[in-house]
Amino acid sequence: MSENYAAPNQQRYLRACMVCSIVMTLARFRDEGCPNCEEFLHLQGSPDQIDSCTSQVFEGLITVAHPSKSWVAKWQRIDKYVRGVYATKVSGQLPDDVRATIEEELGQVYIPRDGTVTDADQ
Amino acid sequence: MASYDDSESDDDNFNPAPADVSDDENMDDAPPSGGGGRKPSPPSSPAAGHDDGDEDDSRPAKPAGKRPFKSVADDDEDEDAEEDEEEVEQRNDDEEEEDEEDEDDDIQQGRRRKRRKDQRAAFFDIEAEVDDEDEGEDDEKDGEEIEDFIDNAHPDDIADSGRMNDDRRHRELDRRREMESSLDAEKQAEILRERYGKRAPARGLRDSTVVPRRLLLPSVEDPSIWAVRCKEGKEREVVFSIIRRVEERLGTKNELPIISAFERGGTNSVMKGYIYVEARRQNDIMIALDGILNVYPRSKMILVEIKDMPDLLRVTKTPNLEPGAWVRLKRPPKYAGDLAQVVDVTENGLEARVRYIPRLDYGVREDQSMLSADGKRKRPGAPGPRPPQRLFSEAEARKRNPRNLAGNPQTNSWTYVGEEFENGFQVKDIKIQLLEVKDVNPSLEEVTKFASGSEDGTENLDLKALAASLKDNSTVAYLPGDVIEVYEGEQRGVVGKATNVQGDIVTLMVSEGELRGQTIEVPNKGLRKRFRPGDHVKVIGGSRFRDEVGMVVKIDEDRVTLLADQNHNEITVFSKDLREASDIGGQGSLGQYSLLDLVQLDPTTVGCIVKVDRESMVVLDQNGDTRSVMPTQITNKLPKRNMAVAADRSGSEIRHDDVVREYGGQQRQGKIIHIHRSYIFLHSHATAENAGVFVTRASNVNTIAAKGGRVTGANSGPDLSSMNPAMKRNPTANNNMQPPKSFGRDPAMGQTVTVKKGSYKGLLGIVKDTTDTHARVELHTKSKIIAIPKSDLSFRDKVTGRPIDISRRGGFGGGAGRGGFSSSGAGDWSGGGRTPMASGGGERTPAWGKSASTARTPAWSRNADTSGARTPAWGDGSRTVNPYDGNRTAYGGATSYGGGSRTPAWSSGAKTPAHDGFGHGSKTPAYGGGGGDAWGSKTPAYGVSAPTPGASGNDSWYTPGASGSGAYNAPTPGIGLGAPTPAALDAPTPGAYSAPTPAPISAPTPGAWQGGGWGADSAPTPAVGAPTPGASGGYYSAPTPAAYAAETPGASGPRYTDDD
Repeated sequence: MSENYAAPNQQRYLRACMVCSIVMTLARFRDEGCPNCEEFLHLQGSPDQIDSCTSQVFEGLITVAHPSKSWVAKWQRIDKYVRGVYATKVSGQLPDDVRATIEEELGQVYIPRDGTVTDADQ
Repeated sequence: MASYDDSESDDDNFNPAPADVSDDENMDDAPPSGGGGRKPSPPSSPAAGHDDGDEDDSRPAKPAGKRPFKSVADDDEDEDAEEDEEEVEQRNDDEEEEDEEDEDDDIQQGRRRKRRKDQRAAFFDIEAEVDDEDEGEDDEKDGEEIEDFIDNAHPDDIADSGRMNDDRRHRELDRRREMESSLDAEKQAEILRERYGKRAPARGLRDSTVVPRRLLLPSVEDPSIWAVRCKEGKEREVVFSIIRRVEERLGTKNELPIISAFERGGTNSVMKGYIYVEARRQNDIMIALDGILNVYPRSKMILVEIKDMPDLLRVTKTPNLEPGAWVRLKRPPKYAGDLAQVVDVTENGLEARVRYIPRLDYGVREDQSMLSADGKRKRPGAPGPRPPQRLFSEAEARKRNPRNLAGNPQTNSWTYVGEEFENGFQVKDIKIQLLEVKDVNPSLEEVTKFASGSEDGTENLDLKALAASLKDNSTVAYLPGDVIEVYEGEQRGVVGKATNVQGDIVTLMVSEGELRGQTIEVPNKGLRKRFRPGDHVKVIGGSRFRDEVGMVVKIDEDRVTLLADQNHNEITVFSKDLREASDIGGQGSLGQYSLLDLVQLDPTTVGCIVKVDRESMVVLDQNGDTRSVMPTQITNKLPKRNMAVAADRSGSEIRHDDVVREYGGQQRQGKIIHIHRSYIFLHSHATAENAGVFVTRASNVNTIAAKGGRVTGANSGPDLSSMNPAMKRNPTANNNMQPPKSFGRDPAMGQTVTVKKGSYKGLLGIVKDTTDTHARVELHTKSKIIAIPKSDLSFRDKVTGRPIDISRRGGFGGGAGRGGFSSSGAGDWSGGGRTPMASGGGERTPAWGKSASTARTPAWSRNADTSGARTPAWGDGSRTVNPYDGNRTAYGGATSYGGGSRTPAWSSGAKTPAHDGFGHGSKTPAYGGGGGDAWGSKTPAYGVSAPTPGASGNDSWYTPGASGSGAYNAPTPGIGLGAPTPAALDAPTPGAYSAPTPAPISAPTPGAWQGGGWGADSAPTPAVGAPTPGASGGYYSAPTPAAYAAETPGASGPRYTDDD
C-alpha cells in the first residue's frame, strides 16, 4: 500500500503541486488529483490543469510520515496535509486566475513554493 | 454564553465526555452524519445572533444550488467566504457578540459554533424561526433542556426522572467549566489548537498561513534531525524508499518510528550525499533505515543543531529567466554546454524558447549513423564527433536533404528535420531544467556569434542583456586608483578615480566635468572602468586573455580593444576585465624562472622560456619544439655563461649578443641569447612567435654583427679555407663540407661482428657488404643476411672473439693528424661522430685498456678519459669550465660534423697554425711556441684539450715539421682522405715520428689512434688486412718500435712523462 512510492523509473514523471508541494506522478495527479488541494485545483482528469498547476521542476524531497508531529512539516507549512512526499522547492508560477481563486474566493493565503517568499517575509 | 451552552448540548449528543471542540471535529470529520445529527438540535440555535438568523434565512438554497456536488464542509466554507464578502457588517456584529461570549469561553469555540449554526440554519429555515422564539429564554437552560430531550434515548436517562438528571448535568457542567477555566491559558490554547488542527487538512490552506515563520522556529520540543550519509545522487530514491517503507508498515506493529526524512541533493548542492531524518531518537533512524539501499545509517550520523535546522530547508529562488538572457544547454549531448539566448519564457516559467547556433551535418554522417556495424540501430545522440557550430544554411540543407526542409525564405525561418530555424539559429522550446541558468559566463566570442547572426551583418548584440548576465555572476572589483566612469544613473558621465571601495559603494574623486574635485560615492552597479587609447593595461578576470598585457587601441562602450605586448594580437575584452598595468611585456617571471631564461628540462634537453603564465610556462627546447611546463618539471636553470663561445658556420667565434643570421632555411636573424653546446637560442624582434625566440645550430648561422665590434673570424686573418689547396681543388667540398667519405674498401667488410642491438642482438656474423651507415651481415647461426646499422655492430676478433677496433689498423699511418678525421670516418661507418665503438671500443679493448691504464701518466689518462668520452657524451664532458670551453663546444659540434657539417672548431683547430687552432683556448705562450715545448708545457687544462683530435693531430704534425700535409689533412677530411696515402703516412719514418716529440705523438689520444684507424680506412693497408690483435700488435711494435712506443700508451707513457 505504498501509494506514495515512485519507482526510480517513474521519477521522471513526477510533478509537484505548486500549492501544497506534494510530489506525485503525473498519472496519480490525473487519476486522483491533489490530495490536499483538489477542492480548488481540480486536477483530477484534467491534464491542462495539471500542467499549469503542477511543476516538473522541484527539488529537495521530503518524506513526511507524520505531518502533525513533524517540525519539518510545520516549517514547510505542510503539517496539515496528508502523509506523502513533498518538495521543499517547486519552481513555476501558479496561473493568476487559480491564485486569485485561492486567495479571494477561498480566503486562503497562497504560499509560493518557488522560493520567492523568504524567511524574512514571513 | 448562549452559544457555549448550545455547543455543550451538541457535544453531549454525540460524545458525552469530551469538550465542545470535539463536537466540531465530529461534525467536520463526518459531515453528513453531523448534519443529520444536528437536525434535532436546531431548535436550540437561538444561540445565533439575530442577524445571523436573518442572514441564514435569506441564504439557504444559494450555496447548494451553486455547487450541489460539494460536501457540507465545502459548503460551509463557501458560506464563510460569502460571509466575508457580503456581510462584513454583520460579521462585525457577530464578532461583537463573540467577544461577549469570549468572556466565558474561547473565541474559537464561539466562531466555530456560529459557523455550524449557520450551516444548520441554512438547511432548516423553520428552525431559525424557532430560534427567534427562543431568544428570550435563558440560553443555557434552554440548551440543557434540549440536551435532555435528546439524551432521553439513553436507557439510564429514561430510567431517571428528567429533573434529577437535569440537576446532575448542571453540576457536572459547572465542574467542568471550573476545571477548564482553572487550566493554564496557554495549555488550553494548546489543546484547542491540537484538536482544531486535526480538522485542518480538509480545510485547506487557511490556517497554515496564520503563524509567521519566526514563530515556527524549532525548539527543544521538536524532534531532532540527523544527517545520514547516503550515496550521492541517490537521495531521491532513498526518500522514496522511506515513504514506501513508512506506508508498508503503517498500522503494523513495527511502524516506522521516524517522523520525516528529506534530502537537499542536486549536482551542485553542498548537501548532497546526505539525507536528513527527523526523529525523536537516533535509534529510531537505525531501525527505520536499516536495509534501505544506498543509505548508510551505520556510518556516523550527524545531529543537526536546532539553530541550523531552518537552514536545511532554506529555499532560494531561481532567478526568473528574462528574454535576452544567456543560458547554456545541458541536453542533448550534441549541444551540451553551448550558449543559448532566451527568446521567450512561458507563463509558468517552466519552459523557455531559446535560440542557439545549430550543429548540423546535414545528414553527412546520417548513413553510417543510422545503422551500426552489427546492424543494430544506433541510439541517436550516441557519442561521436559533434559537428561544429554553424548557422543554419538553407542551401546546404536543400542540397543534402531537400525533403526534410520546409520554410519561408522571406522570414528566413525554416523547418528542417523537425527542428525550427530562424535567421540561421535553431529555435526550440526547452524546459528550464535542461538549461544551465546560473554561472553562464558567456564569453565575448560566444556572444559575438549571436551578434553577427543578423543577415545584414550589423551588430545586433544586446549589450544590456549581456551585461546583465555577466553582472549576475561576476561583480566587478574596483580598487582604489582605478579610473572609473559612471555610465548609469544620476551621476552618469562622471569620471573619477576611485579613492575608496567599501562593499558596493565606491568613493570617487571626480576628475572631470562640473563636479571636478569633489568626492562622490556611487554604487558599484552603474560603474565601469575607463581607459584611454594608449593606456597600458593588463587583462584580469574571467576572460580567456587573462594576464595578457597590452596597449589600449580602441574603446567602444565598455569593450576595449588592446594590442597585446607579447604577440601583437588585438584582443577585445570588457573594460571590467582590465586594469592599468605597471609591468611591461607580459609577465616577467614565475618563481626563479623568468622570460628568456635557459632551463634544463631533462639531462639531454634544454629550453628557453618564451612565455610565462600564471602557473606554467612555455619553453622552446633545443629542437625547436615548444612545450608547456610547470616550474616543477624544470630540473634547473642554467646560468647565463657570458664566456660561452661557439663558432659559426664559417668558423668565426660567436658569443652572446652577437647578431647572426641563419644560413639557408628561413634566414632568420637574431641576437644570440643563449649558447648551449651546438645550439644557439636567438631572439628576434621580427617574429612574434615564441616571444621572438628561435633556436638553431651554431654551425648553421653566419655572423652579421659581433657585439662591441669584436673582430670576427670572417673578416680577420687569412681565410684558411681559401688557402687550403685541397679545398681549392674541390670547391664544393669547401662550401658544403660533406662528411668525410671513406674510400676504398670498408674496413668493416669481412669482419666478424656481433649484433649489439635489436632482435638479432648477440648473434655472430660476418659483414658481407656495407653502405655508409649499414652493414649487411651474414649470420653464423642461420644463413641469412640482414641489414643492420653499423653502430649496432660490435667487431670481434675472428679467432678469439674479443672485441676489436677495426679502425685502429694502420693507425700508425694516420698519425695524430688523422685523428679527427678518422673519428669522423669512424662516424661514417659506426654511426655518427665518435662512436663508442670506434673510440671507446678501441680504448676498451683489453689490451688497450690495460696498457693505457698501466702506462698512462695522469695526463694521459686524463686524455684518454676525455677522448673515451668523445662519444656524444663527450660534448658533455667538454663542458668543464676552462678556457677551452669554446672549442669544446665546438667539438660537440664536431660530433655533428661527423654527421656531415663542417665543424668550425674543428677547422679552427686544424686549420690554423696550431696556436690559433686552439685559438681562444690555447693562447698560452708556451703553446704558441708550439712544438714539443708546447706539449711539454701542457697545463692540465691543456691536456684536457689535447684529446681533441684536430688539435692534437695538428700539433703533432706541426712539430715534426711535416706540417704541410698534416695541416691539410687535418682540416679537410676530404683532402685528407685523398692525399695522405698510407704510404705518405708511412713516409714519416717511425723515427721521424718518434723523433719530433714523443709527446705529440703520444698526445694523439684515442682519437689520434683512430686516426690511425682512419688511415687504415683510406688506405687499406696491410694493417687493415691483418685485423688480429696479434697482427696489429706485431705491426705496432714491429715497424717502428720507437714510434710505436710513442703511440702505445705503454711506451708513450713514460716518454710523455719524461717530456713533461
